[in-house]
Amino acid sequence: MSNANEEALDFVWQPPTIKSKIFSQTTILGAISILLVFVSWGLLVHFEVYRFVLFPSPAEVLEEGIAWVSTHVFWMDAGATTLRVLGGVLAAYIIAIPLGLMIGWKKIFSDLTFPTLELLRPIPAPAYLPLAILLLPWQEASVAFIPFIDAFFPVLLNTIVGVKMIDRDYFRAARCLGSSPKQIFWHVVLPGALPSISSGCAIGMGIGWMGAVVGEMITGKWGLGYRIWEAYILIQYPLIVNGMIAIGILGFGSSVLIRYLTVRLIPWRRAITDSLEESITK
Amino acid sequence: MSDHTATVESHFWRQISRTFVNWSLFRQIMSFVLFLVLWSIIVVAVDYFQQIPTPKAVFMALFELPFSVVFINMLKSFIRVLAGFFLGILLGFPIGVAIGYSKVAKSLIFPAFEMVRPIPPIAWIPATVLFFVHIESQIIFLTFYGAFFPVVYNTMGGISEVDIRLPRAAMSFGLNKRQMLWKVILPAAMPQIFTGMKLAMGITWILVVAAEMMANKGGMGYYVWYNHTVMDYPHVVLGMGIIGLCGAICSIGIAWIGNYFTRWQRIF
Repeated sequence: MSNANEEALDFVWQPPTIKSKIFSQTTILGAISILLVFVSWGLLVHFEVYRFVLFPSPAEVLEEGIAWVSTHVFWMDAGATTLRVLGGVLAAYIIAIPLGLMIGWKKIFSDLTFPTLELLRPIPAPAYLPLAILLLPWQEASVAFIPFIDAFFPVLLNTIVGVKMIDRDYFRAARCLGSSPKQIFWHVVLPGALPSISSGCAIGMGIGWMGAVVGEMITGKWGLGYRIWEAYILIQYPLIVNGMIAIGILGFGSSVLIRYLTVRLIPWRRAITDSLEESITK
Repeated sequence: MSDHTATVESHFWRQISRTFVNWSLFRQIMSFVLFLVLWSIIVVAVDYFQQIPTPKAVFMALFELPFSVVFINMLKSFIRVLAGFFLGILLGFPIGVAIGYSKVAKSLIFPAFEMVRPIPPIAWIPATVLFFVHIESQIIFLTFYGAFFPVVYNTMGGISEVDIRLPRAAMSFGLNKRQMLWKVILPAAMPQIFTGMKLAMGITWILVVAAEMMANKGGMGYYVWYNHTVMDYPHVVLGMGIIGLCGAICSIGIAWIGNYFTRWQRIF
């Protein structure tokens, strides 16, 4: 019944008012969902269920969190971790994107490099840590090496897929019109692969945060990952939770930033996604 | 890009060589050779990298590999990965189906997940220590957590991206809701569900290695870290290779099962 009504209403679609947006089922249930997490966390701690005796309550975490954010240590840690992630992940972008473009574009290049990369790909990034310590002269670099490896393969594979998905006709058309390989690279290969590269970059950034935290936990002297490890050893449980939250927020923020920046680079894609979103929300 | 200025003669020889030699395969094999040669040259030529084992040293170390120790460590890692992975599927798959299938479930569960998901699984290590007494269960919780979100998100995505014409057609054939789920929606979502499982497998291996490096309780991650502490670098490289091999075996296994479940299309 209601379904049929809704479908009938599709034809006289009106933009949602602010009031209807706020009081829609999705928003209310979403708010309940988030509230439920905090309430159940608080209750579990309050009634000391199982091992929640040791766990800090939300109020405690908030209080300690505010105190922590206002200290100098927090900003040092957050800055150090962010720099490591950015260093590693940007290095991965700089190497993986051109490499992926070449592998996707030229068969000879792909034959010569891709089998080896496929061989290295299944090795998880933390396993590189001993070699990173050995290879790189300073500790900062060996911690940044883990996000580098973590981000490298998603970016590479997305770039390759991006090039392979380009319609062959574009290459043929470009060659018919007499463009040089250089022009094909700049006007067909690179723009065609950009949407896929963009999503690869966002994925790489997300995984990069994971890598930096591993690196810091095992070898660091600074950084959020080291801080929560130290908090665990010193039994400062609110700090552990706050550290997790800080890592989550920073990681999420940097992924969103990358997505925003890369979408700026591909305006024609933005038009497509906008219209898609419109059609979905309608 | 073929060379347009080729003379007739060289064209002839190229034709001959293409008939008798698979150059692409040859180049792919050369890729490995090139890699090994470059590796050796860098280690030998650059003074700074003296400590890094040459391919030859790694190969020689293979003969003195303590097979029983490696095998037990491998088994431990495998058990941890598979336990976490299957727990992740067991919990993540129904939740993903529920979120993808019902709008109410989605708006009730999804925001909470979105809030927790940005925290990388690794950052949970100190918190898991609070909740689980045994190191084994801590590691399994981590691998579970790593596998959970990719499975949920891809199951959800797969279901919500099912072509709307399929369920409509099924509805007009008079399928009930249960048949619709099992016969139409899940099969249509299968490719992406298996993509999620593949991702999950990769992440569980990363987590298992990281956790084992910290935990001192055996496993391939511990094996690599131990050899690092005793400065036995050829065995570090071998251990990395073995971990890579295990990861590759797992993802090939998933691709194999995925092929069975998506027989009508070859994706993997």
